[in-house]
This record gives sequence, C-alpha cells and structure tokens, in this order.
Amino acid sequence: MKIAVLAKVVPDYEVPAGDFELAGNRAHARYTRMIGLYDENAIETGIQLKEKYGATLGIVSYGQSEDVPILRKAIAMGGDSLHLVLGESDDPYVIASNLKIALEQLQDVDLVLAGQQSADLDRGVVHGVLAEMLGCTFLAQISRIESDQGRWTVCQNHESGSRMLQFSGKAVLSITSSPENVPRIPAVRAIMAAKKKPVEKLQGTDAPPMQVEEVKVEIPKLESVCEFLPFEDMQETSRMLLARLREERYL
Amino acid sequence: MKTLIIEKIEPKRIGELVTVGRILGETPDLLALGEGEVPGTYPRAYQCPETIAANLVDGVADLIQRDGYQVVLLSATTLGSEIAGRLGARLKAPVLSEVIEVKPDMTVKRPLYGGKAVAEYKIQGNPVILTIRRKYFEPAPLEGTTAAAVFNVESPSVVLLSEEQVQTQGVRLEDAEIIVSGGRGMGSADNFEVLREMAGLLRGAVGASRGAVDEGWASQTMQVGQTGNIVAPAVYFAVGISGASQHLAGIANAKCVVAVNKDEEANIFKRARFGVVCDYHKFIPALIQALREEQ
Amino acid sequence: MRVPYWNIDYGFLIDILAIPALAVFLSGLYGHYRKIRKGSERLKTRSDKLPWKFGPVFVRSVLTKGILGTVIYRKFYTGLAHGSVFWGMLVLGLGTTLAFANLIAKVPVFSGSFNRWFMAFGLDLAGVCVLAGLLFFLLRRLFPPDRLVTPRERSGFFPMACLLAVILVTGFLIEGMRIRASAPELGSFVGNFVAGLIPGSDHITSYHRYLWWFHGLLALAFVVYIPYSPMVHMVLAPINTALADPRPGPKMGVIDFSRFDDESGEEMPSMGVAKLADFSRKRLLDFDTCLWCGRCHEVCPAAQTQQPLSPKMVMATLAGFLSANDFTDDSLADAIGVDALFNCTTCAACMEACPVSINQPKAIMKLRQNLAMERSELPELMSKAYNSLEQRRHPFFGTGSGPKDWQKGIDVPIFAPGQTEYLLWVGCAATYDERAQKVARAMVKILSAAGVSFGILSKPRCTGDPAKQIGNEFLFTEIAQENIAEFDELGIQKIITLCPHCFNSFTRHYPELGGHYEVIPHSVLIGELIAARRLVPEKSDESICLHDPCYLARRNHIEDPPRLALEAVGRLVEMPRSKRESFCCGGGGGNYWSESSGVRINQVRAKEALDTNTDVIATACPFCLLMLTDGAKKYTEDQKVFDIAELIAARLNLN
Ligand SMILES: Cc1cc2nc3c(=O)[nH]c(=O)nc-3n(C[C@H](O)[C@H](O)[C@H](O)COP(=O)(O)OP(=O)(O)OC[C@H]3O[C@@H](n4cnc5c(N)ncnc54)[C@H](O)[C@@H]3O)c2cc1C
Ligand code: SF4
Ligand code: SF4
Repeated sequence: MKIAVLAKVVPDYEVPAGDFELAGNRAHARYTRMIGLYDENAIETGIQLKEKYGATLGIVSYGQSEDVPILRKAIAMGGDSLHLVLGESDDPYVIASNLKIALEQLQDVDLVLAGQQSADLDRGVVHGVLAEMLGCTFLAQISRIESDQGRWTVCQNHESGSRMLQFSGKAVLSITSSPENVPRIPAVRAIMAAKKKPVEKLQGTDAPPMQVEEVKVEIPKLESVCEFLPFEDMQETSRMLLARLREERYL
Repeated sequence: MKTLIIEKIEPKRIGELVTVGRILGETPDLLALGEGEVPGTYPRAYQCPETIAANLVDGVADLIQRDGYQVVLLSATTLGSEIAGRLGARLKAPVLSEVIEVKPDMTVKRPLYGGKAVAEYKIQGNPVILTIRRKYFEPAPLEGTTAAAVFNVESPSVVLLSEEQVQTQGVRLEDAEIIVSGGRGMGSADNFEVLREMAGLLRGAVGASRGAVDEGWASQTMQVGQTGNIVAPAVYFAVGISGASQHLAGIANAKCVVAVNKDEEANIFKRARFGVVCDYHKFIPALIQALREEQ
Repeated sequence: MRVPYWNIDYGFLIDILAIPALAVFLSGLYGHYRKIRKGSERLKTRSDKLPWKFGPVFVRSVLTKGILGTVIYRKFYTGLAHGSVFWGMLVLGLGTTLAFANLIAKVPVFSGSFNRWFMAFGLDLAGVCVLAGLLFFLLRRLFPPDRLVTPRERSGFFPMACLLAVILVTGFLIEGMRIRASAPELGSFVGNFVAGLIPGSDHITSYHRYLWWFHGLLALAFVVYIPYSPMVHMVLAPINTALADPRPGPKMGVIDFSRFDDESGEEMPSMGVAKLADFSRKRLLDFDTCLWCGRCHEVCPAAQTQQPLSPKMVMATLAGFLSANDFTDDSLADAIGVDALFNCTTCAACMEACPVSINQPKAIMKLRQNLAMERSELPELMSKAYNSLEQRRHPFFGTGSGPKDWQKGIDVPIFAPGQTEYLLWVGCAATYDERAQKVARAMVKILSAAGVSFGILSKPRCTGDPAKQIGNEFLFTEIAQENIAEFDELGIQKIITLCPHCFNSFTRHYPELGGHYEVIPHSVLIGELIAARRLVPEKSDESICLHDPCYLARRNHIEDPPRLALEAVGRLVEMPRSKRESFCCGGGGGNYWSESSGVRINQVRAKEALDTNTDVIATACPFCLLMLTDGAKKYTEDQKVFDIAELIAARLNLN
C-alpha cells in the first residue's frame, strides 16, 4: 500500500486579526511559516494507516526550497519520504498539475490524503481538481479510513452528521480534523533523523491557470464596541441583558 | 447568465442559491438531490435521488456541457466541496469556493486567511463553478413545487453503507435565530446541559467552539466556525469561548454577539456587542432564572 | 582514679570484636558504593575554581550542611533533638575512644579535672542529651506528622532508635552499678543518681559484668547495622552534601545532542532518563541518601495542593528501584506517574528544604525529558505550548497580540550594534500576553527616564526556557543557539531581562552553549538606578507585599534588590513564606500551560499574599504576574498584582 499526503506550508494561521497585514495581496512575509493545520491532520491519518497496514507514506508538497525544513516535521512525525515540486503559483489548477508530477513520480499511489483546506487561502479546491486530473475518486471531509479486502471504507463528516462510504480503487480524500487524528508530536530522535533524510526536489511545470482575475485583497474592518455589563449582581445583569437585547430588537 | 443550482432538497440551502442566481440573471435551473418534492419554481428542474456528490460528476458535467450552463452554483458544504473541484477540472472552468459576495458583473468575493482578509475576483472564463458560503445570502422564498425531470446516475463508484444523523434537539443550528455556544471554558461535557436548558428557553440551538469539540464535549456537527457551521443568528451567546479568529469567522454575520467569559482580555469581547466578564457558572443559571421568570 | 574496664576481665575482647564489626560495617557501605557506581558518569562536572572546592568536594557545604547540619535546624525542635543525639553520640564516641586510648597507651584521661569535667560530667551530660533526643524521635515516630508518613514512612528508624536508647540506658546502669559498688564520682551526676536508686546487693558486680558485655555487644550490633538501615545517612548525608554543587537550583546543564547523532553506535544513550542506569551517580546517591523526612513534601507547591506529585514520593519510588537493584526497568516514569512528573513547577523549594542536599527537581526533570523527547508524552496544553514554540518560536499559542502590539504609542529604540549598551530582552510573555505587555511598557519608561542606553531586538525572541522546562532540551538548544548567533552578530554583551526564567537561562545555560553575557534582572537594575538616584520615584505609604519569584530568590539568591527598589515607593510587608522560602506561583516548569484542577497553587499563594492585608502585591516575573493575577481573582475583584517595574514607573515624576 502506498499513501501520499499533500502538505502545504503556509503563514502562521493563528496570527491575530489585529496583527494581520498584507503585502502584495498575500499575508506579509514576516509571519512564521508552518504546515497547514488540516494538512497535519492528514499526515497523522496517513501515519496511522502506515502503522496499521504497513503502508509507505510519501509527503508531497508544492512550494519553495525554503519550505523544506518546515516540511521535515512531516517526516519526523512518520512520513517515509519528502517530495517537493518547486513553484510559486497560487492557482489551484497549476498547483494540482504540479502535485500530479510528484505523484506520478512516486508511482502507484493507492491513496492521496490532503487536508480539507489549506490554512492560507482556505480554498479546499486543489484536491478535487487533482483527483479529476488523476482520474480517480474524490471524497471530501473524511475522518476515518479503513481498508478491507481491496476496498476502502471511510467515514465522512458532513454538516448534519456522518456517513460511512465504501469504494474501491484509487482515490484522493480530503481529511477533516477529528479527535482521532490530532497531530502527534515527533520524538526528538525522529526530528534529528528527519534532518538527514534526502528530499526529492522536482522542477515544476507551467500549466494553464484558472480564468479569473484577482482584483484586490483587503482586510475587513471589524467594528464592534463591546458594552460590558456589571457582574456584581447576576440576577440584575441577566434582566438588564434581556432588556437590552429586546430594546435593540435582537430578540 | 444561464445558471444551474445543484443542491440537496432543503429549502434554505436552495433558497440561498436562488438568491445568488437571481443576482446574476434570471431564476436559475435546479438539479435537486434527494427524495421528495422539489420546492420552488424553476425554468427547468432535475431530480436525482443520489446524494453522494462523487457519483454525480460525470452526469452533471454532461448536463452542463449539453445545456450550456455558464454558472454552476453550489453551497460551500460537503456536497459542494466534493463536486466543485472535479467539475471545474473536467470542464476547464474556474472554481471559486466559499464565496460571500456576488455582483452581476461577475465579480465575487471570498475570504482568505480565516476571514482575516477578503479577496475580490473578476471571473473571465465560463462556465464557472461557485460554492457559496452558507448564511451570507438571504434565502429566496420558494413557492410552489416544480415537476422535475429524472436525472440518473450511471455506475456509481461510491456506495453508502450507513448514515448517522446527529440528533440536534429542537432547532437546527444553522436555522436558529438564537445560538448558545460553549467553548473549552465549559469545563466538561456535562456542563453543556445548562446551555441546552438556556437554548430551550430561548427556542435556540446549542453550538460549540472547536475547543469544546476537540475535548469531546460536543459533537462535531455543533462546531461553529470557519471549519464548522457558519451561522447567522440574531443573537449568538459565546460562553467560555476565547474568540479565536477561526471561530469568529463562523459568526461574522451574527447580528449580536453576547460574550460570557471570565477572562476580561478574551478576544471574544472585541467582537461582542455585550460582554459579561465572569465565570459562566454564576451567570448562566441567573440568566436561565430570569428567562423562567418571564415565562 | 578510675580504672578502665573496671570489674571486667578480658575487656579488650570487645575491642577485638570491634574489628569484625567494623568489617561488616564497611562491607555494607561498599554495597552502597557498588550500587551507586552503576549510575552513569557525570558528563560535565563544574570546572570553575572555587575557594572551597577540592576535587569534586565542596568543603564549605560539608562543614556547614554536612557536619553541622545547618538545614536541620530550620525545624527547631527536630533540629534540637537531632543535634542532641548527633553531638551527644559524638562526645560519647570520643569518651569510648579515650577509654580505649587509656587502656592501650595509658593516656591519662581518668584523672584530675579532665576526668571530672569530661569523662564524668561531660559524658553523662551527652548521654542525657542523646536520650532526650531519642525520646523525642521515638514519640514522633509514634505520633508522626503528615510529612513522615505521606505517601509512606521509611521503616528502620524506630528499631534503630530503640536500640540506641537501650544502649544508652544500659550504659547509665553500668555506670550506676560501678559507682554503687565503689564510690560516688565527682561529676558523674547521672551515675551517682542511678547508683542511689540501686539497692545494695552482693551480686552487683556480676550484674555489672553481664550488663557491661550486653551493652558493648549491642553497641557493636548498632555499628554493624548502620549501613543496612536508614542510619546510613550518618555516612551518606555528608558525602552527598560534599558532592552537591552548592549553587542554588537544580543546575540542569545542557545536553550535547551530537552524542545522539552517531546512529551506528552500539547502544543509543537515552535522552533524559528512562531507567535507573541512565541516572548519574550523584542522583543515585541522592536516592540512597534520602531520609524520607518529607520536608520537601511539606514545601512542594504541587504536593500541597493535592496534585499527584510529591518529591518525597519520587525519591522513595526511585530508592525502591535502587534497593531492588533494578537498573534496567524503564518504567520509572510510570511508577512515579506521568502526571506527577509534569506537576513539578521546578521551583526548587524541595531542594532548599532538604537537609541532605538532594536535588529532587533534577531527577524529576530528567524523567520528564525522556517523556518529552523520546515518548512525546506531554499534557495537552503543554504540548500546545510546545508546538507553538516549535513553530512560531513563542509558546503563547492563540495569542491575540502581534509582536509589536506592546509598543503601540511609545517609542522603543532598536538595539544598534556598537551604540546601544544594553539589550532589553522582552521575552515571550511580555510580548504576547496583553497583561504582561504593560511590564515591558513600564520598563521602557523607566529606562528612558534613567537615561540608560538600551534597545530591543527588531524581531521578538524567546530564550527557549519554556521548552527546557517542558523537558524538550532539543528545542531549547536549537532556540538558544539561534539567539546566540543573533547576539553575536549584533555584538550584544549586556542584557536586561524582564523575566527571571530568561535570566536563569542566560546565566546558567547559555554559557555552556557558548553565549557569555552580563545579565541583569530588571528588578536589580531598577534597584541600582534608584540607589544611584538616576530614578527618583515618589514614596507613598502604600503597603507592598513582594512575592519572590522562585527563579530569582531561590534559584539565584536575588532577594534584597527588588525589596530595595520597592522600599523607594512604599512600605514593604512580608508573607510568611518569603525570600528563599517563597511559595511558587504555580507557573513554573511549563505549568503556566497546564490544566490544574482542585486547589490551585496560584490561588493558595495569592491568598497568602492577600492575608497580609497588603495594598498591592508586587512581583518581578511576568509568569508570577499572570498566575497571581488569576489566583487573586478568586478572592478579590480589585487588580492588586503588579510587576515591580509597573509600580516604579507609576511613581516616576517625568517633568
Ligand atoms: C484552520 C483552522 C480552523 C479552525 N476552525 C475553527 C472553527 O471552525 N471553530 C472554532 O471554534 N475553532 C476553530 N479553530 C480553532 C481556534 O483557533 C481555537 O483554537 C478555538 O476556537 C478555541 O476554542 P475555545 O474558545 O472554546 O477555547 P479557549 O480558547 O481555550 O477558550 C476558553 C475560554 O473560556 C473562558 N472560560 C474558562 N472557564 C470559564 C468559565 N468558567 N466561565 C466563563 N468563561 C470561562 C476562558 O477565559 C477562555 O477565554 C480553527 C483553527 C484553525 C487553525
Ligand atoms: S529528598 Fe530530602 S527533604 Fe525530601 S524526603 Fe528526602 S531527605 Fe527529606
Ligand atoms: S521543584 Fe518545586 S514543584 Fe518540583 S518537586 Fe520540588 S518543590 Fe515540588
């Protein structure tokens, strides 16, 4: 069994809104870069599959050489190899085409896992596009994966519950976070070993991008002045709150 | 713009997309998924019992090409995200997800960086696939029903084994006018009981932050936020929630946020209209009692 | 003149019997030695020259803590009792030796005023002291205080104390019989008294003879039994003290990770400690020496708030593995409890209280290092802080502040190489926590007012100390090396710290990694600036209660400078536990990021401070500030907790 996990290095997704600034329509370069949050869930899911079924686990990314030290965390967590396609595009079609190069290089990947959305552009499109390019099944928001007799049984978390789905053949799955796939902390020895692992760097290709023009990117203004209610007498505060909510026609 | 909506048979979800469709042109056509009557009137309607989006790609792509649809509208839900990327790639069409604003000249806006920024795009290609974030558009009232043509799925590749609906007591989160959400500050699953009681009295629903969901105190379907439910209630009570940007992203359209948090510096107060700085154990029971007294 | 071995034939036999007794005694000690040798060698011993250090031996501490037992007297009655027994036995031992000297070398000890004042009066008095001390100990074992029995009591003290008491009592009886059978002796007040109680009898000399042998043999038995009983502390305690670096704090040192680089090596050394054999010999000696006296338990903030950790329990558990000779079992951490190991705030109160110079936090931290680095087992919040530290180089995950937020509206100079004198090291808390940011702002105001040449780094950094405390030395080393490289580049030599944890890291750990700086805690600098009248704050009659941060007072013995500074603006009041005996705020050891349940340390400490009826609570550590601010919320709604810099800055008249 061969599994590939897609991982993207993104600017710190926890930068507080008040400190957020843009440079050239993207997050300012001063923010620390790290592996996207859901991508880590996907990596963890991949490692669990590796442990359970003895799969090999390749980490595939599209980005720049500077991302390598950050991506090594995925190896330290339990990935077997790291494949980086070099490129700078933000376009989902270009990204998917480039990821496809690495997946083809890896050969016979049974399952491609990806975080349900990147933690920068919050798009959640690339994996679907990639599935189509690879001509395989794509399922979104998967929380659990089991393999049985050549078929995959997966649990999909959707807005109103969850469902178990089954399919066979190759697939791309987008992974959502669940209590079972909280990313593990890599052991120090694994971190040290990961530093020495060779990284396969692949030259990216040009592919036709989507036909949309990004007009502008702005930071929305949050304006809301909070009225703090007194907390000496809770009964009084409760009544006051309900009265105020009615006054302003919220209730 | 010749527009096709693909959506499960749920009036609010369809209604929102109809609103978006009407911004771009006439009332759109509909491919309704699931069983039952197709609500609303459309120039053309199709119906397909299949709800696994992955199985729909081939048929839908053919339909779009055959009928020359220029815009495909989906909701930014599991369904939408499962089908949008593949359709786009199949049709070489631009895909924009989580759209929150649409203009007739085909400029759309979508949030980036957990809502910390908003990007505006001008769509040039066609057809275009859009997934629309829930609760950003007023759902159009759907009048009457439409007799739909049957739309068949040939050779589905994914099989549904079982479905588990999470029991949401009373009002559904996304429809609720009032939401009472608990965060990690609730301290335990049992403590959510008081929120349920409060929501019951207000005829609202109970939500949770991811903090609480990660702790296992609330089910994932209760999660509010960028990656959970996007909600737009009139009043959103945030109890023991610190107000991380990703959580705030889910309540951007809540009209009034009431924050109960023992940390006066909690970020939630920056978003809140009313704030109570205290242990919720003290405040919520008092509020429940005040609500009882009113009844 | 008294005759040695009066009434005893072949009395020298007892001296001859002493030879095999001594042999068994020594072989017992050798057993201890052999076990301790199984520990790993210390990789680095302290190399700097100290006037009182010879080889590995810290002579001054042996003399004070080791022999005089200065720490014992912190509990006055126990100290008195212990002193009575110890010094009494020493005098009695000396008496016995002199008697022997008289026997073989005719040293004239049994005549004149020496006999009267030392051999008679002195020895009787010593005997009384020993007996009184033993009575105290026996009663205390019968009605033990909590610290002796929680979580369990060390057996062996009671029988040994009984044995000694019997030896003493028989000694007095022998003396009494001898006097009864001969004549009252000047100075022997007990002997004369006992003689008065003994009824006259013809058999008195034979009773005396039997009792004499009984007494002598018991005394030998006692000596023989020492290494096999807790009494071995007589030997081990001074040795342990001699080898313990007397600098305060656990002295964690740094780990040289290149040791782990060579994967081909036969056996991989473990990171931190998993099994007994991984501990250094000094740690094993610690476990062996521990008396289970529980003084550490009594002062441990975790133990005192009913958390699973008790340093005594840790020592007792490890001592159990040691006495079972179990050097390979790698379940030490589990035997102690993973939760317990993470409860430690590294406050070092236990070390400070320990009468026999044991370094409990180091053992705890070594076990924790293994959990953090090899087993990746961290409590949830700590793992979040760790992740954040690893990814963003600061542990304040989910902060609502950007790195420059604290500078809003004030002018903060950036360190300019070659021009600026001091680097103002802001640290993570004062950068990312909104409450602590005020400390940084206050400090900028103070330094500007005093005309100090200072600057900050253009990009905020963390010392890495939280990683170290969480147990991940690897991340600490990585961060420290990054910092050192940057400092080198900027030519930084002098650093002002706002946080005692940073201070401790810079002074204790950075030098070992090649970073040597002159570091001054902000509280000390403020005190100096006030003394030099470069700062003239207004005095008020506000009462101020200083909470001593563990990392300043206990771990670096900086106690008075912050007080001097505070005296310039108010009136000091003290908590019952202050200075070196300060009680931790609960935030150390990475426990700022922990979910504590039940009684919370910061609440206990805040209550203690509030109970002094002080107007404000001062501290000199951002973590203490945050912990106590939170802790005080339980008892008061007023904001009473401030950093020393805030208090001074507020009273500066800037005209
Ligand atoms: C890509 C991405 C997507 C995310 N998506 C989401 C999402 O969809 N939804 C979401 O919620 N989060 C999301 N998160 C996580 C988010 O960053 C926060 O970690 C999360 O919202 C924190 O949950 P919380 O506020 O409940 O917990 P905390 O941040 O731990 O806050 C608990 C609060 O409770 C208060 N409190 C504690 N006890 C009491 C008491 N007794 N009474 C009153 N108040 C009390 C505390 O002061 C504190 O402010 C996402 C993160 C990322 C990176
Ligand atoms: S470590 Fe020291 S203080 Fe603690 S029980 Fe042992 S001897 Fe006593
Ligand atoms: S260092 Fe402090 S918290 Fe840790 S065991 Fe010692 S007294 Fe307890």
